[in-house]
Amino acid sequence: MELVETAVAKALKLKATEAEAYVQKTRTIMVEFAEQIESLKTVESIGLGLRVALGKRNAMYSTSILNEGEVGQAAERAVKIAKVAPEDPDWKHFNRKFGKTPVEGYYDSRLATIEYEEIVDRLMGATRLINEHDNRVKPTRGILTLATSTITIANSHNETVDKKETGMIVELRAKAAESGMESTGNEHQEARSWKEVDFESLAINAGNKAAKFLTAKSMPGGRTDIMFRNQIFANLLGIFIGPTISAEWVQKGRSPLAGKIGSVIASEGVSIVDDGTLQGGWGTCPFDDEGCPIQRTQIVEKGVLKNFIYDTYTAVKANVEPTGNAQRAGYWIEPQPSPNNLVFVKGRDNPEEMIKDTRTGIYIDTTIGEWLSNPVSGNLNATITHGYRIENGELGEPVKGVVVSGNFFELLKTGVGSIGSDLKNSGENYSPTVKLVGVTVAGE
Amino acid sequence: MKDHEETAELENLLNKALKRGASYSDVRFQSYESELVSVENKALDSYSSRKLLGFGVKVFVDGAVGFASSSDLSSNSTEKTLDSAVKAARAVKNREGSLARVHINEANVRSTAKVDPFGIPPEEKVSIALDANKAAWNNDKIKNASTRLGMTKDYRWFASTEGARVAVETTMAGVMHISVAQVNGIMEWVPDSESACSGFEFIKSTDWNTFTSSISQLAIEAVESKTPPPGTYPVVVDPDIVGVLLHEAFGHASEGDLVSSGESVLANRIGSRLAPENVTIIDEGVVEGGFYYSYDDEGVKKEKTVVVEKGVLKGFIFDRESASKLGGSPTGNGRAQDFENLPIVRQTNYMMQPSEIRFEELVEDIDIGVYVRGRGSTGGEVEVGMGTFTFGVGPSKIIRNGEVAETVRGVVISGSILDTLKTVDGVGKDLVVKTSVFGGCGKSAQRATVGFGGPHIRARKMTVGGR
Repeated sequence: MELVETAVAKALKLKATEAEAYVQKTRTIMVEFAEQIESLKTVESIGLGLRVALGKRNAMYSTSILNEGEVGQAAERAVKIAKVAPEDPDWKHFNRKFGKTPVEGYYDSRLATIEYEEIVDRLMGATRLINEHDNRVKPTRGILTLATSTITIANSHNETVDKKETGMIVELRAKAAESGMESTGNEHQEARSWKEVDFESLAINAGNKAAKFLTAKSMPGGRTDIMFRNQIFANLLGIFIGPTISAEWVQKGRSPLAGKIGSVIASEGVSIVDDGTLQGGWGTCPFDDEGCPIQRTQIVEKGVLKNFIYDTYTAVKANVEPTGNAQRAGYWIEPQPSPNNLVFVKGRDNPEEMIKDTRTGIYIDTTIGEWLSNPVSGNLNATITHGYRIENGELGEPVKGVVVSGNFFELLKTGVGSIGSDLKNSGENYSPTVKLVGVTVAGE
Repeated sequence: MKDHEETAELENLLNKALKRGASYSDVRFQSYESELVSVENKALDSYSSRKLLGFGVKVFVDGAVGFASSSDLSSNSTEKTLDSAVKAARAVKNREGSLARVHINEANVRSTAKVDPFGIPPEEKVSIALDANKAAWNNDKIKNASTRLGMTKDYRWFASTEGARVAVETTMAGVMHISVAQVNGIMEWVPDSESACSGFEFIKSTDWNTFTSSISQLAIEAVESKTPPPGTYPVVVDPDIVGVLLHEAFGHASEGDLVSSGESVLANRIGSRLAPENVTIIDEGVVEGGFYYSYDDEGVKKEKTVVVEKGVLKGFIFDRESASKLGGSPTGNGRAQDFENLPIVRQTNYMMQPSEIRFEELVEDIDIGVYVRGRGSTGGEVEVGMGTFTFGVGPSKIIRNGEVAETVRGVVISGSILDTLKTVDGVGKDLVVKTSVFGGCGKSAQRATVGFGGPHIRARKMTVGGR
């Protein structure tokens, strides 16, 4: 019997009416580097998250010690807590429908078995390119993380399921300095397979960006048109749409989209999907963290809000089918509805044409602090660290230190100027370059 | 403190590491427990309980650092983990790292905890959280209220080939609450938390019902107020924001690893004047109200480090490697999130020292400005390389004709820390230092619990945006 099954059986023996066990085993390789490799480490982590129900009473216990004795104790602790928990009137059952959706590109055997030497050589080769042609620039800090994980889920209603996934995150930073002026340039990419990451281009772009922004200045505030680079708009999508389409937020009264299914929430050109089946997608996998098969869910179609995303609990409460969106931020954390791959559907415009079509405005390459925005009120806030003025259809002076603000939901309705064709991801959020018109900025 | 017999076996790894060619090795063992009781809208949302246990081994081979960790403590696994660390170090070619010399400590210490929070029955914790949540529903404008009761116990043991043996146990407890208010279709949410390095006595001696109902009142006040007109203003900043601003926008730049890599805006500036005479900034391990940190994850004692003295940059905070690179002495700031991570340079309790000015004096000669407040703040972010920051602060106040006037919501401050520090022309006489059990500061994918604070200060110029 697998450990997950042992855990479920022990909980049932202790008079739990239902139990669900989730085991995650992960091997992570992490390399920190600048001009040289600073450190290399391997982490083998393992953990069990056990949820039990006694009628309508629930609890969760988790542990990183996985032997029979500890698993038994975990079941005892979970049942003991559940006994004293108040009843949850909305509780019905754990996921009753396990299943695997046939999806591709979430496991790369090359990434899973790569040798340290190959990683080191590739990274060192790429970082040399950061300042190959410009001695004002140097690499300051980079992190490469490679992870391979196996997830096994069992509950008292189903046969055990498992899946194996890989993923890598690379982040590169460069800094430029010249006669008292300083600037930085960052690049990042998240991918499922080793061959998808073009380390060399990331390094060259980070170095060039740092050099270009030595002369960047702030600018006067006002209202202007703004082009958001694909990854930056993807971040905004994750901040404003990710949580507000969660059935949990809707049911708890936090989401401004509650009650708006069937209503127009964006201009006609805007469509958004949560596509867990996207080939090689950052959040693509056969089933979610409760064993529910993954799917593609239309969120916004031509401006109209179509669906929210559900885990088992919120789906049962709303009397709908779960959408395969149960996600755990760690084995020790309860699942919550969260997007798999949240995609702002691309348009037809080439970003270069979008610049040409802009008389005056700002092109945003990088921001910080966008996560300070408030998805409840829709208040957007981000500080541009790397942007360009757009003047008469051309990219002009580099700008920094300009704060972008506005109401994201209103901008989606009335401010979407054009939508690019260059879809790219920032983590699980996918977007093309998007132009918003009439956005307020505060500068000098 | 409970003895952990696992450490005896782990100690043997040190000699094995030397035999495999390491010039230095350390092994860290950790046993961590946490509980989180979450209540939302007057009902128990979840009760989760966690135990994390494992070890990590670090080796230095020809100047290169290798590290591996596992939560499997069988002797077969510990040997395998050591091999993995040595293999990793050997794969790193051409690196010249070294560790600055330190005093070799043997210590066994713990934070004050009279009542073990893990000995309190679950039903008592649920009822405290439920009562506090119910107290937040004091007005029909409140649409959502969530309350969390959290506690942790973190035991860390460190042993090195140099002979250091240090064990530290830290217990924390706290309550976090968020109230969401809605008026005329506008929603505002106000989060706040209170934590202490203490046992359950901290939870029992605090009136959480008053705490949550006052958060609801602030949320209502915020939702009924306006956002400030964006622009540049003179500001008075409260201790919460002084602390978080210093930590994020200045503290990180004073971290030795970011200085030695050249990324920090403070590199090569020792001895320069960064702020007026009244500004002194320190990092200290054990402070009233702050996080308890007496030894770091390299076995080095954390004492008081003066970073800025009377406006002049005096020093940085270091781990052993960055101290060696920059020719400084380790300051006890080598911290790891847990046994799965290598220590990196982190702040402990980072704060500005108080001076002599009363709050009224800070405000009195401002014609139009903003009193920037921390309660309800949603956090901040900086670009360490440039020292630029942006923070979503809590509901704040307009200052008009030298007096604190109406509330404003959705306030965001941003700027460059070096420019901002130069404009600090008033430092208050009060001092508040805080910490939190609910999260901490992120760097290089690691989180660390920190403390921060300071007095009220006045800055002549800050960019204020509205969300």
